[in-house]
Amino acid sequence: MSDNQAPPAPKALRGVGNFIDDRFHLAKTGEKNLRKVFPNHWSFMLGEIALYSFIILLLTGVFLTLWFNPSMAHTVYDGSYERLRGVGMSEAYASTLHITFDVRGGLLIRQIHHWAALIFVASLVIHMLRVFFTGAFRKPREINWLIGVAIFTLAIVEGLFGYSLPDDLPSGMGVRIFQGVLLSIPLIGTYLSFFMFGGEFPGEMIIPRLYMLHILLIPGILLALIAAHFMILWHQKHTQYPGKGRTEKKVVGTPMFPAFAIKAGGFFFFTFAVITGLAGFVQINPIHLFGPFTPTSITSGLQPDWYMGFLEGSLRMFPNWFDFDIGGYAIITGVLVPGLGFMGLLFGGLAAWPFVEAWITGDRRVHNVADRPRNAPVRTAFGVAGITFYGVCWLAGSNDILSHVFQINLYATTWFFRIFLILGPILAFIIAKRICLGLQRRDRETLEHGYESGTITQLPGGEFVEVHKKSSGETVHVLESAKGKDYTPEPTVDANGVESPASRKPMGRLRSRLAHWYTKDNVSFDGVEPHTGHHLHHGTHAEKEKVGQH
Amino acid sequence: MKWITARRRHPLAGYAVVIIALALLGVGYAFVAPTADQARADTLAADAEATEVDIANGKQIFTQSCMSCHGEDGTGRTQEETGNASAWGPDLTGVGAAAVDFQVSTGRMPSMNPNAQMPRRTPVYSDQEIADLAAYVDAEFGGGPGIPEQAPGDAPERADYASEAEYEEALETYEAAYESYIAGGDTEAGMKLYMTNCAHCHSWSGAGGALTDGRWAPALTDATPRDIYEAMLTGPGAMPVFNDDVLTEGNKQSLIKFVEELDAEPNAGGPFALDRVGQVAEGFIGWTVGISLIVACAIWITAKQRAHD
Ligand code: HEC
Ligand code: HEC
Ligand code: HEM
Repeated sequence: MSDNQAPPAPKALRGVGNFIDDRFHLAKTGEKNLRKVFPNHWSFMLGEIALYSFIILLLTGVFLTLWFNPSMAHTVYDGSYERLRGVGMSEAYASTLHITFDVRGGLLIRQIHHWAALIFVASLVIHMLRVFFTGAFRKPREINWLIGVAIFTLAIVEGLFGYSLPDDLPSGMGVRIFQGVLLSIPLIGTYLSFFMFGGEFPGEMIIPRLYMLHILLIPGILLALIAAHFMILWHQKHTQYPGKGRTEKKVVGTPMFPAFAIKAGGFFFFTFAVITGLAGFVQINPIHLFGPFTPTSITSGLQPDWYMGFLEGSLRMFPNWFDFDIGGYAIITGVLVPGLGFMGLLFGGLAAWPFVEAWITGDRRVHNVADRPRNAPVRTAFGVAGITFYGVCWLAGSNDILSHVFQINLYATTWFFRIFLILGPILAFIIAKRICLGLQRRDRETLEHGYESGTITQLPGGEFVEVHKKSSGETVHVLESAKGKDYTPEPTVDANGVESPASRKPMGRLRSRLAHWYTKDNVSFDGVEPHTGHHLHHGTHAEKEKVGQH
Repeated sequence: MKWITARRRHPLAGYAVVIIALALLGVGYAFVAPTADQARADTLAADAEATEVDIANGKQIFTQSCMSCHGEDGTGRTQEETGNASAWGPDLTGVGAAAVDFQVSTGRMPSMNPNAQMPRRTPVYSDQEIADLAAYVDAEFGGGPGIPEQAPGDAPERADYASEAEYEEALETYEAAYESYIAGGDTEAGMKLYMTNCAHCHSWSGAGGALTDGRWAPALTDATPRDIYEAMLTGPGAMPVFNDDVLTEGNKQSLIKFVEELDAEPNAGGPFALDRVGQVAEGFIGWTVGISLIVACAIWITAKQRAHD
């Protein structure tokens, strides 16, 4: 930003600046950091939504702690909410009513806290999807991906525990399901439950314990992880989308200061405004309507917050056909598998993916330029299949509401979701991959022929053709980024036609077969020159390989 | 349409199209979707007059519109007996006046389709006719639970009164009776009874919910105290019976107090209460409104006018 030199600061300010700089030597580091460059693309802002909503959660959460009383001791309500006056309840519930009705701004802050929690986890999801689909988790960013998965996991747990604090009807039911899942763990389940609850459900301990986890331990870990996430990001810099001048070595974008800082600051306030707007206008978690939890209460029409919905759904869908018992001890697979198995699948799968992909493709190079999702068709298809799987679980979690609102038979929804849980991801995989390949093919067309200008001319022979014009240098760059995606590092066959020892072992064979499957359908851009107008090799990677072997 | 052509390749054009399409879809759905039947079945005259019953008139109504399904002697008829798949009905022996009052005053009977659960409708008969019918069924087919007169039924309607003054007076009497009935209950006991016995079908808010086999528990929002009382006494359709031994009269009164007060409760958390559907609706709004707006903002602040390709 040399063309943008600020006028010299007033003398007094300079004096203070020099005083600080003499002691901390900030100017140099400051200058370097302030000039840090941020790529300019909306999808790089998604992580920031998470940061801002977390800050909002911290601020509003601290406000709530001033009045919230995490105690399950019995009390009789005598606050200003008429309908529940004289009703027996826990201190936790009574103090939440107190925040709602007797603390100035309390209801608003509660609603901001809860809406911010929904937005927080949602922003984590879309941020994570961006990183996944652009391959930004690849070397050297695997550690940051793992940190991200940990943040996501903890955020969900944090939300569940927060939801359980007010000790209202949905709280209690959520805790009850949580205990049910604990109990289903073979051998140690009962002990775990007794340990967690300090005795029988619900006991007197669970809310103070969840409170400690919710306001101290988990936010502390989250804060540390977020700090680590940002330090690593700062050190490694953002990935960037392909484009002119953007290489593995050079980042193009807006400098941190002032342009990016102003945008980010504005974005913080926008995020805050949307969350506060929702909190001001849309009722969320009306605990005063739900009433306090009692162990005999059960109700339909209550769900967990959306981020727990997929677990609720998996519990609702999974049949009890596989329950069995060993020597009189029941193994409740109907709860164990959907309750813990699905969660393990989600988080384990997310954590393992960068390593699995690197193992399959054998690609251990450093990547700073992000993939366009279409240029990694199998990865993209996997992602879409994963979203479909998650989405079906998620929808199934609300099947009673769907059934009631749209007047569909409840059993029919269960069966629909069961079948679609298996069929859906397969279909999604195939369709997403086809779309990617189609887009790749169109890209290659555009690269070779330029773009369709929309102008029709008539040739001397009478034929009408659409005039193609040359794409801009920027577009050419972007399109050419598809080259070299079908990379195989170590040739499995050496010059004499002898297979390398590693690839002769079963794992090696599996790997090379997977690697082949991973890239075989990719549309090859090899040898395609911009605007040459020629159709060169139009075969797929696999066809070329076959040709090469002859 | 020139301005569209000019902006077709704008970097935000694609998003704009998606947003417009979603908005159209939403608005379209709102038009197509069935609007909840809000009409309260209030077309009947005040209960106070319904003291003198005319059993003969009851018999005539029964013969006209109930016999085809329930049989002349009220023992019910099967599809084989009527030879008609959409004309059959269960035995009415011993169902009592409360069952008839409930079924007919909520518009369920006479049934339009015995093979499907009947929704609440505007009743076909007047209060007087229902009283006659109930008395006839009760007298003829063996008595059962009587109409719980202590629980207030439908509020008086202006159309049934000759003058404004008469109507106002009736309304005042009704409201006083309603208030005193509701005030006689105990919220805490009512809440516990409701949450233990009813909420798993009718949901915490009384909004109703889906049941198995395509049946559903209806919303309790339109039910009068008497409807609720009679529903418990007679157990319509898939609903179990909660007779006065299971839930005493006092229990029922507390329970009714809880249901009616919760329904009347204003929503404290903002003008959009999402129909008290709860978390599913909240999640939906969080994604469709919350995150979408914020992402749209991200797109906006990072968008720069791109050179035409
Ligand atoms: C088209 C056939 C049909 C007609 C006409 C009909 N009903 Fe019914 N009725 C049924 C069916 C079917 C049921 C069972 C409903 C259920 O279980 O949900 C029923 C149930 C009832 C019940 C409840 C019985 C119980 O065990 O609680 C009463 C009371 C009743 N009908 C009264 C009447 C009266 C009074 C009329 C005339 C105004 C009438 N019905 C007309 C088919 C009919
Ligand atoms: C097994 C589920 C179930 C339970 C438990 C249950 N109900 Fe119902 N309820 C139903 C069904 C189903 C209907 C509709 C019956 C029909 O129309 O055939 C109904 C209808 C009603 C109606 C009539 C609503 C209207 O406006 O037409 C009321 C009132 C009612 N129930 C109150 C209660 C109360 C109070 C309790 C608790 C003491 C209760 N129900 C428990 C299933 C249930
Ligand atoms: C670290 C800072 C945080 C503090 C101090 C805090 C504190 C609290 C307190 C005291 C309550 C109970 C009071 C009430 O509901 O009115 C609460 C509820 C809740 N918290 Fe937090 N919280 C924090 C962070 C989070 C985070 C990161 C999330 C989400 C991922 C979250 C989600 C929730 C939820 C969903 C509730 C229930 C709110 C309601 O019932 O209205 N909190 N929190």
